[in-house]
Amino acid sequence: MEDYDVRSAASILASVKEQEERFEQLTRALEEERRNVTLQLERANLPPNPAVSQPLAWQQVVMQEQSPSNATSLAMMQEPQEVVEETVTIEEDPGTPTSHVSVVTSDDGTTRRTETKVTKMVKTVTTRTVRQVPLGPDGLPLPEGSSPLSSYTDSIDRRYMKNGGERFITPQATSTLTRAYNNSYNDSYCETPESQYIRHYGLHDGYADLTDNYGSLSRGVNFRPPRYPYMPNSYRPENSYTLPIRKDDYGHVAQPQVPMGSSTVDLNRSQPERFQPEPYGLEDDRRSLGPEEEEPYELEPDYSTASRRTLPGTNRGRTHREPLRDVHRVRGYPDDPIEAELIDERHPYIHGMYSAPLAQPERGSMASLDRMAGRRSPSIDSIRKDPRWRDPDLPEVIAMLGHPIDPVKSNAAAYLQHLCYENDKIKKDVRQLKGIPVLVGLLDHPKSEVHRKACGALRNISYGKDNENKVAIKNCDGIPALIRLLRKTNDMEVRELITGTLWNLSSYEPLKMVIINHGLQTMTNEVIIPHSGWEHEPNEDSKPRDAEWTTVFKNTSGCLRNVSSDGAEARRRLRECDGLVDALLHALQSAVGKKDMDNKSVENCVCIMRNLSYHVHKEVPGAERFQDPSALQAPGSAGPQRKKKDDAGCFGGKKAKEEWFNQGRKNGENDKNYDTLDLPKRTEPSKGFELLYQPEVVRLYLSLLTESQNYNTLEAAAGALQNLSAGQWTWSNYIRATVRKEKGLPILVELLRSDSDKVVRAVAIALRNLSIDRRNKDLIGSYAMRDLVSNLPSGQQRPAKNLEEDTVVAILNTIHEIVTDSSENARSLVQAQAIEKLVAINRTSQSARETKAASHVLQTVWSYKELRNALTKDGWNKSHFQPAVTATPKATKNGKPGYDDTTLPLMEKNQDGYSTIDQRDKECKYKADDGSADLTEREPLKNDTNRKHYIRSNRPAVSLVDACDVKPQPVDSWV
Amino acid sequence: MSFVPGKPVTAVVQKIEIQKLRQGDNLILGFSIGGGIDQDPGQNPFSEDKSDKGIYVTRITPGGPAEVADLRVGDKIMQVNGWDMTVVTHDQARKKLTKKKEEVVRLLITRKSLEEAVKHSKGCHPRQ
Repeated sequence: MEDYDVRSAASILASVKEQEERFEQLTRALEEERRNVTLQLERANLPPNPAVSQPLAWQQVVMQEQSPSNATSLAMMQEPQEVVEETVTIEEDPGTPTSHVSVVTSDDGTTRRTETKVTKMVKTVTTRTVRQVPLGPDGLPLPEGSSPLSSYTDSIDRRYMKNGGERFITPQATSTLTRAYNNSYNDSYCETPESQYIRHYGLHDGYADLTDNYGSLSRGVNFRPPRYPYMPNSYRPENSYTLPIRKDDYGHVAQPQVPMGSSTVDLNRSQPERFQPEPYGLEDDRRSLGPEEEEPYELEPDYSTASRRTLPGTNRGRTHREPLRDVHRVRGYPDDPIEAELIDERHPYIHGMYSAPLAQPERGSMASLDRMAGRRSPSIDSIRKDPRWRDPDLPEVIAMLGHPIDPVKSNAAAYLQHLCYENDKIKKDVRQLKGIPVLVGLLDHPKSEVHRKACGALRNISYGKDNENKVAIKNCDGIPALIRLLRKTNDMEVRELITGTLWNLSSYEPLKMVIINHGLQTMTNEVIIPHSGWEHEPNEDSKPRDAEWTTVFKNTSGCLRNVSSDGAEARRRLRECDGLVDALLHALQSAVGKKDMDNKSVENCVCIMRNLSYHVHKEVPGAERFQDPSALQAPGSAGPQRKKKDDAGCFGGKKAKEEWFNQGRKNGENDKNYDTLDLPKRTEPSKGFELLYQPEVVRLYLSLLTESQNYNTLEAAAGALQNLSAGQWTWSNYIRATVRKEKGLPILVELLRSDSDKVVRAVAIALRNLSIDRRNKDLIGSYAMRDLVSNLPSGQQRPAKNLEEDTVVAILNTIHEIVTDSSENARSLVQAQAIEKLVAINRTSQSARETKAASHVLQTVWSYKELRNALTKDGWNKSHFQPAVTATPKATKNGKPGYDDTTLPLMEKNQDGYSTIDQRDKECKYKADDGSADLTEREPLKNDTNRKHYIRSNRPAVSLVDACDVKPQPVDSWV
Repeated sequence: MSFVPGKPVTAVVQKIEIQKLRQGDNLILGFSIGGGIDQDPGQNPFSEDKSDKGIYVTRITPGGPAEVADLRVGDKIMQVNGWDMTVVTHDQARKKLTKKKEEVVRLLITRKSLEEAVKHSKGCHPRQ
């Protein structure tokens, strides 16, 4: 059974698509028919005499069939008789984690590759016109005898197909399903048939609620029209979307059926037991719309040819079908590889089908196989269909986007979406066939059906590594169009599609600024703020609202997360975007409050916050006012300057004594600083970007670090603290102190044991920045040293965690920072058994950067003369603390390590530059006109995380640690 | 000129040859550069694509050798004496320009006006 179900769902999806299209096409024909029908109706209503209807079109006939029963029962009867339209909207849940793939390149850790895989929304409206024939579908034999007519045979065949081929859904089951779908999906797919129906027929009563109001429908007729379009005859292969209906065909069909009418009714009722709801369980099938469609189309042939009916049911089916297939092939499908493939796959199905038309159980199984095969390709269904049918090829589908009839447009777009799903080739073809501008144009279409599906197609097209597709969307002003639609629509599904598309687009660097320019404030106002629960002017009476982790919010925050990594200008724009920071913070606080911190939306928010926190001390307006005066003093002063320390480390013990005194002084100063830590007075609560660096955020990040299980969130929260604690301005002093006071250091140290490489790295770098604060340095030296050291590889052997080179380097740099200016900490290092590991790394590591970083730590340790005694006792001598021969030559000589050496990867040099003393000196020299060089050096450490990123792509990404900017200030050199 | 890693760069370039001017011990070119892969490309006011980490001419000394050679502020330097300048650090670029033994540097530069001129003449120029 399950197979069937699966199949059926898949097949429904597939068939619905095409049916919709055809349906639309038929609407015209319907108009003509409508007149006939109305006439018929009048006749039919009075006396339910089946015979009357012969001349009428098929639909009319059906009505008459139903007519025998009383009005109230009509609904029931109808449904069983014809399997009415089943509208199945299968939407892959866009919100499922799988659908959204965020590929985070580990280096940047940012969102570079975060894409929303769009779920393919396959909406299939399957309209089945199944006549209930006396035969019970699953082998209920009774009905057969009742109607001996030629039409009877016909109906059997149909039923057969329906039960076996389709999915064994008995008519009633189908009808029930229909209701369910109508209810739940009214707007999307049901809408089409219904609305059209109304449009064309003007039957309002009862039609609006097809499902519920069946009983009230005065006539079955009302129901028919929508289905009508699917009638086989009307479809001509040649004109796939303007379908002329052949009245003749209908006439033929109708006639045979008429007689059956009354008997059928009873049968239908008896069948309810067969009801099988499963088929609708929204299958996993994402790809195939195709298989489902078969039914409706298969029926068609029967109707079209009167002669067939005369044949015995079994034979007829076969003869009838096969020719069709052949025709199909002849038609040129062979050219199409897919089709060819499909044909092969089809065979089993065909055989099974023909061999035992009546044996439903077997049939069913065969059918299911068939469906499986069909699922691979949407087009398979076409084979089984009326031979004259074929799937439109891509240019045709794209042409349909411009069709004057709206439903054709929307169906074409939906079909495109389906085709593009996980198929880069088709995406590319769509682009090259200029389909993207057309889709973008449809975004402004007033009908929700149209712009929804256009948007769905764009979402799938925009997903993937092929950035050309994204550029194509941008080049036809797709981004402003999406934003316009976002402003305009209240349909949640459409909003999800829009924001999903934007998320996809935002993964491509050159589009980030475009998105910011067109959509930042709109996304903030339309999505971020309302869903975050934040209110501009909170009502004091009502309690603050919590954030809603909707898909729309997730998509939008993902998009903003991506664009927030686009450099200083992007950061500025986001920071200054009205309400954005406030709303993000509110959302995060709400997440912490509800202990719901592992979801993607939270991750996105934290990542945005981290990125926006990068370089706040230099980039926010008025930052100069908060610059730490001590940091501006000359390097020789006692201020906590980077360069000073570096000198000490760099030249070994030379200045150790001096440093020692400096330390003392610094301690004093710092203590004073922190004890009298007065936050700047403010008359009103901070808002906007100021919130980024208020000490209050420390508690938020620490909560996240404590509670979240999401590595990306952990990493981002640690990165945010790292960013905030970098730099030399008043606020970073507060942040560093606040982390300590909020007992954040143990939390961070704990995370050094994390299994996640990225988390360890971010935490290590954060600790390094935090140790700018003297007290923090002492505490970290005392309590974190063992955890830091345990992350180091011992010799050739990596620790269990097997951390990446970047991480090892980050840890070494942090250790270096901690032991610099602190012989106590150096002693802790020695006691943590680190020397052995450091020496091993220094001597044997395959990584030049690791070697270098370890070497610097060793040099610093050796510089503490008071430790040498102990070191010597442990068997170490001076040679162990000198740079390994290969790594050193230039560095030791003049403090300008081989910068000229072009054979080294560029980024490595940069990295080293940031992490090593020598480099730093050099850096300062080169930055002669950049007075702030010293101040900024700490942050560059973060570049460690970006190193690979640079090497690989040379793209600027602020990823993880918003380390995007290697150097804080633009350097400008006279030459 | 956006630059997509792994894809060939298409650019309209102009050759510019600058004769260095001796000032005391120094040879000067009379312009300053910004950018480089180690710089924040977002702060480059001259680049169209804010992810472009190329080397750009930021200032020109009036009357200096660069001005004489018709170098302009905002030009993107693609090569220096044949050395690629699109993927270099700021400092590497500076060094390539300031080699003491070279009295002449030959630059390949691109600028927006060039691209547009070509675009107009050709009708359409492929751009990223």
